[in-house]
Amino acid sequence: MTAGIILLVFGFVILSGSALLAICWAAKSGQFSNITEGAASIFDQDEPVGVPTDRFPVKNSQ
Amino acid sequence: MNSPSLLSTINPATEPDKLDSVERAEIDASTRGPVLLFFGTAIFWLLMGSLLGLISAWKITNPGLFDSISWLTFGRLRPAHLNLVAYGWAVPAAIGVGLWLTARLCRVPLLHAKLLISSAIVWNLGILVGLSGILIGDGRSIEWLEFPAYATPILFIAYACISVWTIIMFRFRKSGHIYVSQWYLFAAFLWFPWLYATANILLVWQPVQGPAQGAINWWYAHNVLGLWFTPIGLAAAYYFIPKVIGRPIHSYYLSILGFWSLALFYSWNGMHHLIGGPFPAWMVSASVVASVMMFIPVITTAINHHMTMKGHFEALNWSPTLRFIVFGAVSYTVVSLQGTSMAIPALNSITHFTDYTIGHAHLGLYAFFTMIMFGSMYYIVPRLVGGEWPCANLIRWHFWLSAVGIILMVGALTLGGLLQGLALYDVASTFRSSIEFATPFRVLRGISGFILMGGQLVFAYLFVQMLLKPGSQKKSPAHFDKSDNSSNDSVAI
Amino acid sequence: MNKLPLIFVGIFLTFTSAWIGLVAYPTLNLANVEPIPDEETGGVLPPTTSGMAIAGQKVYASAGCMYCHSQQVRWAPLSTDIAKGLGTRQTVARDYIREKVAFLGTMRTGPDLSNIGVRQTDANWHHLHLFEPRTVTEWSIMPSYRYLYKTQKISGQPSNDAIQGLRGPHAPKPGYEVVPSVDAKALVAYMLSLKKNYKLPESPEPTAK
Repeated sequence: MTAGIILLVFGFVILSGSALLAICWAAKSGQFSNITEGAASIFDQDEPVGVPTDRFPVKNSQ
Repeated sequence: MNSPSLLSTINPATEPDKLDSVERAEIDASTRGPVLLFFGTAIFWLLMGSLLGLISAWKITNPGLFDSISWLTFGRLRPAHLNLVAYGWAVPAAIGVGLWLTARLCRVPLLHAKLLISSAIVWNLGILVGLSGILIGDGRSIEWLEFPAYATPILFIAYACISVWTIIMFRFRKSGHIYVSQWYLFAAFLWFPWLYATANILLVWQPVQGPAQGAINWWYAHNVLGLWFTPIGLAAAYYFIPKVIGRPIHSYYLSILGFWSLALFYSWNGMHHLIGGPFPAWMVSASVVASVMMFIPVITTAINHHMTMKGHFEALNWSPTLRFIVFGAVSYTVVSLQGTSMAIPALNSITHFTDYTIGHAHLGLYAFFTMIMFGSMYYIVPRLVGGEWPCANLIRWHFWLSAVGIILMVGALTLGGLLQGLALYDVASTFRSSIEFATPFRVLRGISGFILMGGQLVFAYLFVQMLLKPGSQKKSPAHFDKSDNSSNDSVAI
Repeated sequence: MNKLPLIFVGIFLTFTSAWIGLVAYPTLNLANVEPIPDEETGGVLPPTTSGMAIAGQKVYASAGCMYCHSQQVRWAPLSTDIAKGLGTRQTVARDYIREKVAFLGTMRTGPDLSNIGVRQTDANWHHLHLFEPRTVTEWSIMPSYRYLYKTQKISGQPSNDAIQGLRGPHAPKPGYEVVPSVDAKALVAYMLSLKKNYKLPESPEPTAK
């Protein structure tokens, strides 16, 4: 019972502390400032915007 | 084409001379072992779990079925079904998709894949132990936490290892910007061990006194959906929808706002399962309010996905991934709005103890989460085995069996649950009538289970084919050549 | 745009509030509810339960009864539970302090069991019902729990424990009898102990209209 509560308090302090640090870090390193460019970060030279990357397999015509 | 290397303009870490496709192929390949193992075992448990669900669905309309076999009694089959599909299928599927997405989005290869392979083996061992525990009668009758106390530490150890690994990848990521999917993934990988450890300490290892258990139980059971399955599902949707159609997400700002409002409101929701229960009124009220507030993240996400898809709906015709994921994303909106409505006392007093809730659960875990996982696997597996899915028509069969099956199941349970609930609520009607109203819909639910399982068998067949003899090799396993989109001969069989 | 971090910190702090409210609060408060003295009899409320009934809770969990049966009477404006006779008053936290696991339940595929010990006081009825539910309620969809019982040949005197009044396809042949296992007896003891007909100050019985 008491062991459970102690564990909970520990978990709470560690997890909430680390999450808070994560937010501070994210804010500092500019994660929230270049928000419009961020959306394009999953595209690159070989898979640029405008090119679909998935389709049904098509039977070989041979 | 139209925007050459947007990435290099915002990410100084990118080496401009290294081909992106080569790097991507290397990263994809590094995740092959653990991700395929997680997917394979997940599909196996999905079939087993569905089979148990099917038997329990038929037992409820034929109570005499197998009724002298203790381990096939309804009260053991039902938790066995839930735990298999939740921890045997959904969690490993989420881990597989999560690992692959994390590696890709962090732009780092997965190192020491053997460690993750062993944790996959340990996890599945834990599932086997837990399943046997429930069937021999050691189940704890705490919903979502039925696995006996000797099974949960195994699962926790396996999971902790995976969580640590994703954090390491995140720490050493090469991409400067954190894409919205990474927010969801990172948070989910942190939240789940927190949820699981808290619930297990307080309910299984050092159980608190009876009355407090209900609150913790539903805090866990609702949050495992909202803070683990939902973020992973949304992370996949936020990556695959733009990636497949080749168009950035409509409003990136909204997507990040959606993430944080989800974290806030979802976490308070759980108590709406206990409306009217033996708890202080403020706890339940807070849950009802938070459930109504869920409107914000849900509508945000729905608008965002719709605006991204706008003008690209014809893509549903040619992309299997998109087809499953859009079905899942639409279901997410529906299931969340339904969940909000169910927390409102006027409707809750009718539906609270009925099949309506079961329908809601399947809408969430199957129509939303499982469909998104199927879609993700259709994208990921070809890039891991380096070959194409063997048969387009079987994929179509899988989709339509799943879609029709789940709509039928949810429809039957919803209607049946409403009638059952009205009979339970009406002072003049007997308990017998609540059973009689629900019975035809329960038969229909059993039939829909067969349809769903048909879809799963098709998928399992396709997956095994991919492992044994993948379709024609692609020049680069990381992505389809652009020529694939215009001509038919480079993708085959 | 620059306000974003501030917003996120706020949202995050509210998120942890859920943990405090739904986990820490019940752990610290709801988990330490004590019985109160019963002025009429000099005992305590809720009354203590027998060892057999406590053993029966394990059987109840192991058989998964709670997947179809709830054990809670909801308050009157929200539900018709009291009007339908599930209990005379709303159930509150103190009602569950004797339970290892509080089987509140989320389904009423079968009837609520908060007060089954008040409605059905006969142990033989419970045994009949568990052995073959359809002998007592022909439309019942409850599974049979025959695996908790043993059919044995009567040698000499019939056992005092044997179930009386079995009929239908599962009735024992002449010269045989069905006796409950320890688990079945414990489960029935638990069923009979499920009574919430005592008075608690925090849950007054609603006055009749």
